[in-house]
Amino acid sequence: MTMIRRFRSIPVTYRVPAIVALLMVVISAVISEHVLDRLSRTQEGFLDGLAETYLDGLSSAVIPSVLRGDVWEVFDALDRSKSSYAALSPIETVVTGSDGRILAATDPTRMATFSQLPDSYLKRYGPGIVTIDESALTGFAKRDLIYQGQPVGTIHATFDVSRLFAERREILFTLLVTNGVLAVLFSLGGFLIVRQMIAPMRVLENHMRSAAHGSAEPISPGEIPAGDSEVAGLFRGYNTLVHAERERANFAMQLAEEEKLSSLGRLASGMAHEINNPLGGLFNALDTLKTHGETPGVRDTSISLIERGLAGIRDVVEAALATYRPERSQRLLTAEDFDDVRLLLKPELRRRRQRLDWDMAWNGAGELPIKGGPVRQAVLNLLLNASTVTPEGGVVSLKAGSREDRLHIEIGDQGPGMPTDIAAILTHEDPGPAVRAGRGLGLWMVRRVVDDLGGRAIITAKQNGGTAVTLEIPFGGEIAKANAA
Amino acid sequence: MTRDARHCVRQGNPPSRRVLLKGALAGAASLAFHSSASAEDVAFKFGLTPVFLSNDLELLGHLQTFLSSKLGGPVELVTRRTYQEITALLVSGEIHSAWICGYPYVQFKANLDLVATPVWLGRPLYQSYLIASADRVVEDWTGLKGDVHAFSDPDSNSGFLVTRTLLAKNKLWPEAFFSRNFFTYGHRNVVRAVASGLAQSGSVDGYVYEVMRQTEPDLIKQTRIVRQSEWLGFPPVASPKSLASDTRVKALQQALVSMKDDAEGKKVLDLLRLDGFLATAPSLFDTIAAEVEIVRQFG
Repeated sequence: MTMIRRFRSIPVTYRVPAIVALLMVVISAVISEHVLDRLSRTQEGFLDGLAETYLDGLSSAVIPSVLRGDVWEVFDALDRSKSSYAALSPIETVVTGSDGRILAATDPTRMATFSQLPDSYLKRYGPGIVTIDESALTGFAKRDLIYQGQPVGTIHATFDVSRLFAERREILFTLLVTNGVLAVLFSLGGFLIVRQMIAPMRVLENHMRSAAHGSAEPISPGEIPAGDSEVAGLFRGYNTLVHAERERANFAMQLAEEEKLSSLGRLASGMAHEINNPLGGLFNALDTLKTHGETPGVRDTSISLIERGLAGIRDVVEAALATYRPERSQRLLTAEDFDDVRLLLKPELRRRRQRLDWDMAWNGAGELPIKGGPVRQAVLNLLLNASTVTPEGGVVSLKAGSREDRLHIEIGDQGPGMPTDIAAILTHEDPGPAVRAGRGLGLWMVRRVVDDLGGRAIITAKQNGGTAVTLEIPFGGEIAKANAA
Repeated sequence: MTRDARHCVRQGNPPSRRVLLKGALAGAASLAFHSSASAEDVAFKFGLTPVFLSNDLELLGHLQTFLSSKLGGPVELVTRRTYQEITALLVSGEIHSAWICGYPYVQFKANLDLVATPVWLGRPLYQSYLIASADRVVEDWTGLKGDVHAFSDPDSNSGFLVTRTLLAKNKLWPEAFFSRNFFTYGHRNVVRAVASGLAQSGSVDGYVYEVMRQTEPDLIKQTRIVRQSEWLGFPPVASPKSLASDTRVKALQQALVSMKDDAEGKKVLDLLRLDGFLATAPSLFDTIAAEVEIVRQFG
């Protein structure tokens, strides 16, 4: 299994040629086996035929001499047969008489005339016409010399069959070289063809890889192959997908903007109310000053009233500016950021007659190594959402505190609970589906902030009803992320 | 090589000596009867024994051309495998003349006329050699005891009789002295048998051996001479006494004796490595006759 898995992990560009080469090896092995087997049988048949012819010719030549016991004539016949049967490559031929003694041999120094034939010669024959000893590369054959039905002697022949084996080796070598060359050519061809075939896939892969990194670009028309309808269709399909995705993103951004404007509107109306409230008192104080301004006590009281009223207006304006002016969002997070959020939320809470449980465990540090602006925005969004889902007169809560190397912020509500797809915007790896459907855009903005800051969001159901959204934001996360990028 | 010569190079089973002698006597009578009537009509038949290098077809061609031109008519060369066959044909008058060995000449001296004797190394003489393989250490001929021995022909002087006489002089039979012996029916075959190891020693014509030293040195190098016999009468050309009146026999003698002066004849002599032919007296073969007597007396 591991081998298969490893093999599958090899790129297809190399896998296909490897499979082709493997197939060629298997095919060549089978073909070679068949060819050599057939060649072997043909050679043996040919050798049998040659041996039969040799023995037939020799028998005819030597029988009269064997009958007369004419040593010379037998030897002369053997000697002449050497050149006549060169194709058979006889190494040694021995002719014995009826008593088993040697009449003549092609090499009399090895097989002396009138000596007894060694037993090994009698035992070396198999059932076939020619018995082959592969280790010695020799073949053996014998022929009984029959005259008028009586055995008068025997011919024992030894042939050099090394040529047969050399021919087999040569053919095997030729097959191996030919098949090897073919395997290499086919593999190379396979490699080039597959590479050409998957080249469009690489284009698609590169575009998809770029898309994964956030820059989905359509494949240019020049890169779409004209002749390959399948690939062209695939590329066009991808381009359609990119365009659709872009449209959805634009739509989502538009919706987000609208959402932002909507919440801004709510905040603005709250702010207007916040500003309007003290305005009546301010005008009254001004009237009092106009009328009774000479009276020191009244003047001081009125001025004090005007001052407090203006200070309230200034706080609200400053909080709004700090939240929505991008250039101010780069500074580090301080406790004042939460105070601003609380201030901005106040009108909405008041409108819905809701209470805010505020639990800040700020350990006295002036500022934390986290960008203040995004956190303010995220917390404000979550609190506004919590206020929205919490019934009128209900309680919205915020707990914030830094532990070890991160900041924990928990926003609680008394709502009916967060739907799974909406919760997924904050917690799932792919926040897409709900966002693409145009829902939970406020949470999507929170998710982007959390992701940018390298933190995470956790959603839990509270024991007494409602939902708690916890943000964990590491110190310096966004800075580290920027450095890593 | 002419067609006739090729046609005549054929072999057959040798008849027994008894049959041969009977045939010879009967043939001599009948040939004498009709030879004078048809002598000039039939081709002149010239027999060749294996003492002659009969494997050389070029030589046969030149010899036939030479003899035909000198005898003024067709000449048929007749070869057989054994001396016995040629001797029988000659003695019976079936052939007009033949180059035979000194031994059969001595045996049938009464029925044969000497035509001419070859001259080799300036003399009409040659030797018989006892040979063994080159790598063998043998002091003298006695070291060949127990060998498988190759003889040339039972009717050959150098290839059988000389060795047989040597053994007879030493009260030995070939069958007792040698473990085995066989005949190769050719001097060249004796050399081949010894060189190949088929025989451990052999009896061979010294002239043939020396010519082979030039023509087939590689074969000769595989053998060595153990003993050389005394000089003996060279195998002669003879004709039946019954054809003594045939003018072509006389013409043959003339042609052979003057062979060295003829261009075609010179080619034949060069191929044979002979100096020429000489008309010699029958006494040249007395030494061989003496050998025959020694063997006869020994039994």
